[in-house]
Amino acid sequence: MNLFSEIYGTYFRIAAELLENEVTDEKTVRDTVLHEGFRDSVLFLPQKLIPCGEDLELFRREKDNTLRRITKKAPVKVLTKLQKMWLKAKLSDPRIRLFMDEETIKKLQTELGDIKPLYRHEHFRLTDRFADHDDYSDEKYIANFRTALDAVKNRRIVDISFHTGRGKRASGRFVLLKMEFSPKNGKFRAYCYLLRNDRIRSSGLINIGRIDSITDTGRVFRTPFSMDDYFSSRKCKEPAVIRVTNERNGVERFMLEFASFEKHTVRDLEKNEYTVELWYDEQDETEVLIMLLSFGPVIEILGPGKLRSQAKERIERQYGLLCGE
Amino acid sequence: MAGFSELIKNFDKTREYVRDFFIYGCKVRSDFDKKSVRTYDDEKRRVESWMQDYMRYDDSVHGRSVSISADSGHISENPLYNAYYSKSFTDNDIKLHFLLADILCDGKSRTLRELTDTLNSEYEQLFDDQTVRNKLREYTEEGIITAEKQGKAMYYSLSADRTDEYISKYKGLADAVKFFSEAPDLGVIGNSIMKSAGIKNDLFHIKHNYMIHTLEDILVPDILEAVDNKCGITIKKFSVRADDEPKEEIIIPMQILVSVQTGRRYIAAYVPKTRRFSSFRLDRIKQIKKNSACTDYDRLRERYDANIKRCFGVSFGDRHELGNAGAIKITFIVDEKREPFIIERLEREKRCAVLKKTGEGLYTLSADVFDPNEIMHWAKTFIGRIVSIEGGTEKIRRRFYSDISRMNKMYGGVKNELIQ
Repeated sequence: MNLFSEIYGTYFRIAAELLENEVTDEKTVRDTVLHEGFRDSVLFLPQKLIPCGEDLELFRREKDNTLRRITKKAPVKVLTKLQKMWLKAKLSDPRIRLFMDEETIKKLQTELGDIKPLYRHEHFRLTDRFADHDDYSDEKYIANFRTALDAVKNRRIVDISFHTGRGKRASGRFVLLKMEFSPKNGKFRAYCYLLRNDRIRSSGLINIGRIDSITDTGRVFRTPFSMDDYFSSRKCKEPAVIRVTNERNGVERFMLEFASFEKHTVRDLEKNEYTVELWYDEQDETEVLIMLLSFGPVIEILGPGKLRSQAKERIERQYGLLCGE
Repeated sequence: MAGFSELIKNFDKTREYVRDFFIYGCKVRSDFDKKSVRTYDDEKRRVESWMQDYMRYDDSVHGRSVSISADSGHISENPLYNAYYSKSFTDNDIKLHFLLADILCDGKSRTLRELTDTLNSEYEQLFDDQTVRNKLREYTEEGIITAEKQGKAMYYSLSADRTDEYISKYKGLADAVKFFSEAPDLGVIGNSIMKSAGIKNDLFHIKHNYMIHTLEDILVPDILEAVDNKCGITIKKFSVRADDEPKEEIIIPMQILVSVQTGRRYIAAYVPKTRRFSSFRLDRIKQIKKNSACTDYDRLRERYDANIKRCFGVSFGDRHELGNAGAIKITFIVDEKREPFIIERLEREKRCAVLKKTGEGLYTLSADVFDPNEIMHWAKTFIGRIVSIEGGTEKIRRRFYSDISRMNKMYGGVKNELIQ
């Protein structure tokens, strides 16, 4: 049993797709490899599939130049032991109830019978997850999550009333685009557009745990939208520019901690310093600021001016507190 | 580049390269001095082939740097999974994969002899018994084929569990797999189910997503098995330079510690050599070898369960460095009326520490932990609110004061001689 096995590999998957049909042709082989393969697969895989004397002999060339598979039936997709063990482990995750009802979970558990779960919850310890994570077992939360997920899948327009991070009540008509989960916060959120008269008014994020009520309006949002546009609308106008020094292994620590961000790094070999441009969601500016401050003097926020001055203000206040000013 | 293949035999080498391209984002060819130029070129080309749209190139006087650049919160599928889908194989591997399943998909079981005969007579494929036997044994371990002894002969049949049937039979399973395939842990297995069933994640994004963890997942099943079997393991670490001997260490694993904020994962383990608990970063471990069972495991586990409660993060402390560190107390100032969210933040992020209101607008956090130093990285996220730090060690307190002084200077603040 191995995670790194050719049975899950891209080449096997492409071959399986091509073996679905009794007969195929060279063009389909090349197109499938181009579409489903890695960037360079088209240089290596087609000649392994198309009969040429050095191929894998999975197809035979017919008189009309088409390619006939050597198998009799379309390939079956067998669930491996590793995949079943993974599924079994997920059945013990409280979040599974957001997707499946108790009866379905029980049936799947029975079907997986004697399969050992790949891991147990207690094998892992999250050292720094926030304590106020969502309660995935709460019935109201589950119902709201499912309505929101259905709205995402079917682009249903929904009326939502919720309370904001500052505890204020708010409500509106929304189209929900995608769901987001943060392992750090342990929270699900929905990317959304606020609608006014069926037109997009603004973009936002709603915490599922803060929804008081969510109602399907029975209407579908038909205006095309792209996630790229949504993300662009929320992206910071200018990236944070950070000077990172290698004091206290700062470079590796910084690069790892900010690995989830889109960034561009330039190195100054003479000073052994790095300058990193970091893009983030504007709404996360405070979170980014405090993450940066936690590195102390190992890094310096060079820009933009607004972010630097926020850091400066906090540091001056801290300096004052320590000096008794 | 004769002989180049985009498929690989060895995952360890690739792990190292992908990590460097992804994490650092600015390394040039000469930085990979421990590897040959040919190896670098081949690995780079493979990573380019797998990661396609996520590659970024920057030219400088030092050379062209290659990096993987992705906002991991905005992607629907972890591109690093492709590294797992690139295992090399032989012609026999792929032929037998499809032919054996084609013969056995009628639900009947067959002996090895019947299978080799059918391969020859119906498919005109000549395989020796040993080759087929090895493949059947391998697929029995993978759970694709079931082996059952009837009389003296072993009969082989295809597993009845079909990915597409599971997905259509169990309502909600497709959405669950979409979510769990991107969320931690071992999401690549969920992704392999989705690929097999022909579905794509069109619903979920993961924020604070450390995609790089997937490369370490290769080690996780062996670690967990050792934990379950109460066994020791030998860990072999990546060497830093070409002339370095890879370090090996024998440890008794207890748990995997995951930091969802710093992007690091560790094995928490007992180290017989030092007779202490320690944490080992997963991304620095190249290989794991399973050892024999540890007869003292239950007692060690009991000690570990007690000790881990005194870790703020992953450190069990180092007496040489820390001495006898006392409990640390940090007092924060908060405008209770206008900033209740700060108190909420302290509550939700304090972990094993205790938070008490100690005055008008003052909140004191006390933590009796092995390594008070671990608290300070987090405490600095409250810069601007820290009134005092007591306890811990003098070195920790001095460093904090010195850091604030340096930062004040760095950001152009006025110097005050009172701060030491």
